[in-house]
Amino acid sequence: MIRFLLKGILGDKSRSLLPVIVVCIGVSLTVLLNCWLKGVMGESLVMNANFDTGHVKVMTRAYAQEAQQMPNDLAILGADTLTEQLKKTYPDMDWVKRIRFGGMIDFPDEQGETRAQGPVVGWAVDLLSAGSKEATRFNIKKSLVNGKLPSTAGEALITHDFAEKFKVNPGDEFTLFGSTMEGSMAFKNFVVSGTVRFGSNVLDRGAIIIDMADAQQALGMEDAAGEILGYFTTNQYDNAKATAITTSFNAKYTQNTDEFAPVMLRLRDQGGMAEYIDYSTTMGSLMVFVFVLAMSVVLWNTGLLGGLRRYTEFGVRLALGEEKNHIYATLIYEGILIGTIGSVIGTGIGLSISYYLQEVGVDIGGSMKNSTLMMPSVVRAAITPTAFYIGFIPGIFSVVLGNALAGIGIYKRKTAQLFKELE
Amino acid sequence: MEKPIVQIDNLTKRFPVGNSEFTALSHLSLTIDKGEFMGLVGPSGSGKTTLLNIIGSLDTPTEGSVEVMGQSIATLTHKQAAILRNYHIGFIFQSYNLLPVYTVFENVEFALLLQNLSADERKKWVMQALEWVGLTDKAKSKPSQLSGGESQRVSIARAMVKRPQLVLADEPSANLDARNSHHIVQTMKKLNKELHTTFIFSTHDEKVMQYLDRIVSLKDGMVEKDEAVLHIQN
Ligand SMILES: Nc1ncnc2c1ncn2[C@@H]1O[C@H](COP(=O)(O)OP(=O)(O)OP(=O)(O)O)[C@@H](O)[C@H]1O
Ligand SMILES: [Mg+2]
Repeated sequence: MIRFLLKGILGDKSRSLLPVIVVCIGVSLTVLLNCWLKGVMGESLVMNANFDTGHVKVMTRAYAQEAQQMPNDLAILGADTLTEQLKKTYPDMDWVKRIRFGGMIDFPDEQGETRAQGPVVGWAVDLLSAGSKEATRFNIKKSLVNGKLPSTAGEALITHDFAEKFKVNPGDEFTLFGSTMEGSMAFKNFVVSGTVRFGSNVLDRGAIIIDMADAQQALGMEDAAGEILGYFTTNQYDNAKATAITTSFNAKYTQNTDEFAPVMLRLRDQGGMAEYIDYSTTMGSLMVFVFVLAMSVVLWNTGLLGGLRRYTEFGVRLALGEEKNHIYATLIYEGILIGTIGSVIGTGIGLSISYYLQEVGVDIGGSMKNSTLMMPSVVRAAITPTAFYIGFIPGIFSVVLGNALAGIGIYKRKTAQLFKELE
Repeated sequence: MEKPIVQIDNLTKRFPVGNSEFTALSHLSLTIDKGEFMGLVGPSGSGKTTLLNIIGSLDTPTEGSVEVMGQSIATLTHKQAAILRNYHIGFIFQSYNLLPVYTVFENVEFALLLQNLSADERKKWVMQALEWVGLTDKAKSKPSQLSGGESQRVSIARAMVKRPQLVLADEPSANLDARNSHHIVQTMKKLNKELHTTFIFSTHDEKVMQYLDRIVSLKDGMVEKDEAVLHIQN
């Protein structure tokens, strides 16, 4: 029977061509959308985790309230002890201290007068101690445009675009002005060791990266840190594990009402990213749903038109002793066959375009100028195993639904009437 | 005496038309025996097709009883009706109704697909049926490549391939020229003789009528005349 169905489908172009094309378009769009979202989400998520949220993050409750403002007056005191504790309790994770700060940098000329001056955001991370993975997390080696990584205290990296604007080269000195934990003025001199470009507008606008110890000293934050980040040693965010660790850690402090008591947040709990991901996922699913709906309506109509032309065939088949149920079932099989053919071709097309977008990427830097989301400015699609089958779901579903709706007409008509169409 | 293959008693068929009803068959009684080669004649609208459809279990009686091969058409489930058609009744239509995407062979094979036969058996039966109608050489052709007469012979092969006891032919010669009309009726007559298949025709065609053993004339849904035809043998 399948052989007969296939031959019927392939032999009758009007029955197969349009549905296959419709399915193809829908499926390739679904696959493309999936790879695109996966790619953009994935890269943004990794970048965000590495630069900002960690897989989990410990802050004081007060700091957590306004984390975006980098309120270092609310930083964790006794950060070294707490970090050691975390390392002991949760050895599965790599725990690192960080300070984020805002400030001003000032480049002097030969006379020591201000030559250029501008606001920066800064990251203080552990660059110098042996075995630190922070440089890798910030992808510094690959991002380095000029110069080298800081190798001693008092060296700093600045973003390349920023450096170009101020005509600064490795080896130049600058002064960082900031404020201490107590709110008084702080400053410290640094030497530019290198310039970096991270490929994300938010980061490249104007940032410096200095070693943790330098920052603690400059900002009067000895044994203090704004944030302690935890990373799974596998480097993969695992929401279940993160939830377990977060719950167990926070349980220890439920009785404590101090606003400086530490609190741990998962990646998903932190500023915007979770909403952003949820929003994108919802939008993605919604779009696929709309594709399915639109495809089904189109296929329903082609099915109806095709069905009208096929009343002769149905009549003959009824006369030959086929049951209505069986004819209906074969329509569904046909739907599955057409859906499969369309899905295979559509998945092929979708994957090809996705592959191209994965290798080449799209520069969205221009449209991201004012964005506060940490996103790579060249975004790429990512082909995951899901992409190979995800399109089949809407592809097959829509034709089957279309045929199922169209086929109801067979039941609506009395057998003898169906048969009348023969004359 | 063997039981009749079709036994119709007091059959009435009414169709709803708008808010009222139209009576297509009225208190009609008819008995058809196994092996008959008979025809329904009568003016257009006299109820020939309606009667054939009911005998073929494609439609149901409004009143009265119709028994085909001992089964009452009114009480058959969809499934039972389908089985009856699948194994015991063949249909031949005025407009052939071959399926254009399939070859001649496949069109005939289609009738056997629902029966539990092996591919080899199906092939044997199909080739046999094509031989009956003299079209073995056209097995691989598509319907669009056939003449009208050839198409109707394929549809006879399709009706006959499962060797049904009863064949219903609704104006089989209406689209054919004289030579082809004679040819297909002769073919059916031969099968009637050889396989003892019962044939019920509906026809306006004098050329067909001359082969029939019995002619039932319908008028306004009632039997007007029912006469046996004596053939002068030569
Ligand atoms: N489904 C239906 N609904 C309403 N009226 C119908 C229906 N089917 C048949 N009729 C009517 O019943 C009458 C008999 O129709 P039928 O098709 O049986 O005639 P016929 O003898 O086969 O005519 P012809 O020689 O033109 O084929 C006609 O008047 C027709 O209009
Ligand atoms: Mg008729």
